[in-house]
Amino acid sequence: MGKPEEEEEEESDPVDTKPECEASCKPRCVKQLLAYEACEKRIEGKEGKHCTGQYFDYWGCIDRCSATKLFRTLK
Amino acid sequence: MGLLGMAGSAYADEAEHGLAAPSYPWANDGWFASYDHAAIRRGHQVYKEVCAACHAMSLIAYRDLIGVAYTELEVKALAAEIEVEDGPNDDGEMFGRPGKPADHLQPPYANEQAARSANGGAYPPDLSLICKARHNGPNYVFALLTGYRDAPAGISVRQGLYYNPYFPGGAIAMPRVINDGGVEFEDGTPATSSQMAKDVTHYLAWAAEPEHDERKLIGAKWICGALLCLYAMGYYKRWKWGPLKSRRIIWDVVN
Repeated sequence: MGKPEEEEEEESDPVDTKPECEASCKPRCVKQLLAYEACEKRIEGKEGKHCTGQYFDYWGCIDRCSATKLFRTLK
Repeated sequence: MGLLGMAGSAYADEAEHGLAAPSYPWANDGWFASYDHAAIRRGHQVYKEVCAACHAMSLIAYRDLIGVAYTELEVKALAAEIEVEDGPNDDGEMFGRPGKPADHLQPPYANEQAARSANGGAYPPDLSLICKARHNGPNYVFALLTGYRDAPAGISVRQGLYYNPYFPGGAIAMPRVINDGGVEFEDGTPATSSQMAKDVTHYLAWAAEPEHDERKLIGAKWICGALLCLYAMGYYKRWKWGPLKSRRIIWDVVN
């Protein structure tokens, strides 16, 4: 929790912990991340191609890893 | 079902179903866990200040919140803040009056057409039952609210829509509305976007299943009673069968 900033006119917004939790899970999902980046490179300039599959694999991995972690930081 | 789809356009099925939401450890998970009522209170505040501008919750009455998130006096005050159309009076006219606990939460738009017209053709669904109306409700709602990300390579959504991997199809008409500091909680909880999303999801879970706490309580009592009955019945059965199971039969030669 932030210190009460009564003298300042603007209080700084609380910082969300979700990006931090997700970043800490990146090492566990490196394989999927590399697959996604390879796909990105592969489809560069090509029409009608997309990397949704690899994107889902990566973010699904990050979600599974960070779900419990995130809730532990919340009230 | 998805195999043919995968043979043709690879993984088109995945975007169609949306990314599966992970299982978050909700306070009310488990056979003996109740809702976190402080979270329901904060969640209602988030709904009122952020979501109610576009989403109705017409099935919830103010008095439903008594004993769940607010006291009776607080609910009376909350209801009185809004104006409700009532009537007709003795002159045959409709009139406005301050709300009462018996009134339902007022929808932001008069009808579906008005809602669609104000939101680019998309209808913001009524949230009263959303957690039961979506597969894996609470997990889905939380993931959706906090899951706005850049689209994957090769995917673009048209102007007016936003990419959200959890939304079936990926292109949702609602922009990200839950942002850090969007609300100021009276209990001092830091209002990060994850906190706000968690609390509003908990509130929506309660709205869809208000009987939840009582159901688990009754279930625990009855299962306990049933186990005791099971023991008693088992004992009684074995007591009755005892003589039969312990008899001796003697085979002898008959001349």
